[in-house]
Amino acid sequence: MLLSATGISFAFFYLGNQNVANITVIYTLALILTALYTSGYVYGIISALFCVIAVNYFFSYPFFKFNFTLDGYPVTFIGMLAISIFSSTTTTTLKKQQRAIAEREKALVEADKEKLRANLLRAVSHDLRTPLTSIIGSSTSFLENYHELEEEEQMELVTNIKEDSQWLLNMVENLLTVTRINDSAADKVKKSPEIVEEVVSEAIQRLRKRLPDIRIRVSMPNNFLMLSMDPTLIEQVLINLLENAFIHSGSTEPIDLIIREGEDIITFTVRDYGSGVEENRLPHIFEGQQLSSDSVDGHKGMGIGLSICKTIIQAHGGQITALNHNQGAEFTFTLPKEKEDTEND
Amino acid sequence: MTKLSVLIIEDEKNIQTFMGKVLKRHDYRILYADTGTEGLELIRSQCPDIILLDLGLPDMNGSEIIENVRTWTSTPIIVISARTSEKEKVMALDLGADDYITKPFGTSELLARIRASLRHSNRLRTNSTLYIRPYRHGDMLLDFSKRILTIGSSEIHLTPIEYKIVAYLAQNSGKVITYASILSNVWGPYADGDNKILRVNMANIRRKIEDDPAQPKYIFTEVGVGYRMAEDEEETT
Repeated sequence: MLLSATGISFAFFYLGNQNVANITVIYTLALILTALYTSGYVYGIISALFCVIAVNYFFSYPFFKFNFTLDGYPVTFIGMLAISIFSSTTTTTLKKQQRAIAEREKALVEADKEKLRANLLRAVSHDLRTPLTSIIGSSTSFLENYHELEEEEQMELVTNIKEDSQWLLNMVENLLTVTRINDSAADKVKKSPEIVEEVVSEAIQRLRKRLPDIRIRVSMPNNFLMLSMDPTLIEQVLINLLENAFIHSGSTEPIDLIIREGEDIITFTVRDYGSGVEENRLPHIFEGQQLSSDSVDGHKGMGIGLSICKTIIQAHGGQITALNHNQGAEFTFTLPKEKEDTEND
Repeated sequence: MTKLSVLIIEDEKNIQTFMGKVLKRHDYRILYADTGTEGLELIRSQCPDIILLDLGLPDMNGSEIIENVRTWTSTPIIVISARTSEKEKVMALDLGADDYITKPFGTSELLARIRASLRHSNRLRTNSTLYIRPYRHGDMLLDFSKRILTIGSSEIHLTPIEYKIVAYLAQNSGKVITYASILSNVWGPYADGDNKILRVNMANIRRKIEDDPAQPKYIFTEVGVGYRMAEDEEETT
């Protein structure tokens, strides 16, 4: 900085304009800039000294010699020193403040994330503990009272164990999918062009393994639909929504899965024909908090599943909504089409 | 008839016991190995008919075992893998594993996979004429010698490429077939690595043979890996 100032001054000086005032101004500018880009007073003072000496040495008569007896020299020196200290002080405090603000913001974001994580963890452990309690309880009572139990009771205990562990599995798979979402990066999910019907069919196939009785009616356009997505994640969303519809609707009517193609989105709707969702829960249904308070049927709260659905859909740049139609509940999510998807038509 | 022997290479004791119990009940002879080294020794000394291999072993990578075994024998290998990584599955299949099964699995699934893999390995060895016998599942009948596919009483018209795909899957029914394998089998070894053309063809096949392409009865998708055709019914009994 100082060197370039000296260079510029030389240029000025020898290009004819032999006015010391101009040169002093250039050095002053250099000083302020130095103070701005360094921290603390030390650099400022050192550069002030350098400037004074340089002006004295290079640009005041006699050239290339020190002459401390020059008229007004102490004034120049004090002036330079004052400027340097003053600007150093201001910039240093400014920088300090900036850093403090940045840190506070970061801490806030961290705290927010921490809170979210804590909430999720609390909800998850609550959700995991209930089926585990039942599994441990059932198996213990089976082992301890093996001889006294009727065959029917034995069957009941083992069936309970199986059901609860399958529920646990679903939970764990849900949580695993979340680890596939990259929070910070610009592309949150790894998208690849997929054929919609293949993703849908695998979701249904996997769900059927667990719930053999579920009946699903799929209606989709007859043309060939390509859509960019992370198939594992979208499968999970479909599984969660279909399973919710099956378990919570309290109805044996087949569930409708309706896929529609729009201009630049594809819409998936899961519609059941059951009791619907309580109106007061609708606005918060994707927030995953109601499960701790008064979920209707014990541990099978839908909180986490739905909040995971929302996370997944948002990470894909889509939207998810819930509403009641006149015969039941309806969940709809959209996924945006991308350039590559339409090229294939 | 001597019992068929199954080698289970798995470090988790509980899973070993569970699989062992199920297989014993279905008249298989069981060999257990907790580590990869032990497994390789047993493969050399006992020559099992089929190997169930967990990819996450304490002493060596499961894929090393596949590579090692494939240098000298074609004994069927079924890989047991965790659900999350498709890449791992594809890699194991490319290295020469016959099929995979994802944790957690049910007993019927396990038995079906073993049956399918054993059947295909027997075919290879005896070079029998089983290929000529038609494939049957549900209402579908595929006659390899006449190259005719019927569902119920109606004949389905497939393009030559579509027929090749269906026939290849039917010959390997019950087993997962990777995209790469279908591509090289149908389009030849110099086929483009892009599987889009295959998937478009498959979508068209589904339109022709499935009542509801989103809930298929005959050809299932294994997302990220390949396709699996429902097991031939005459061979399950």
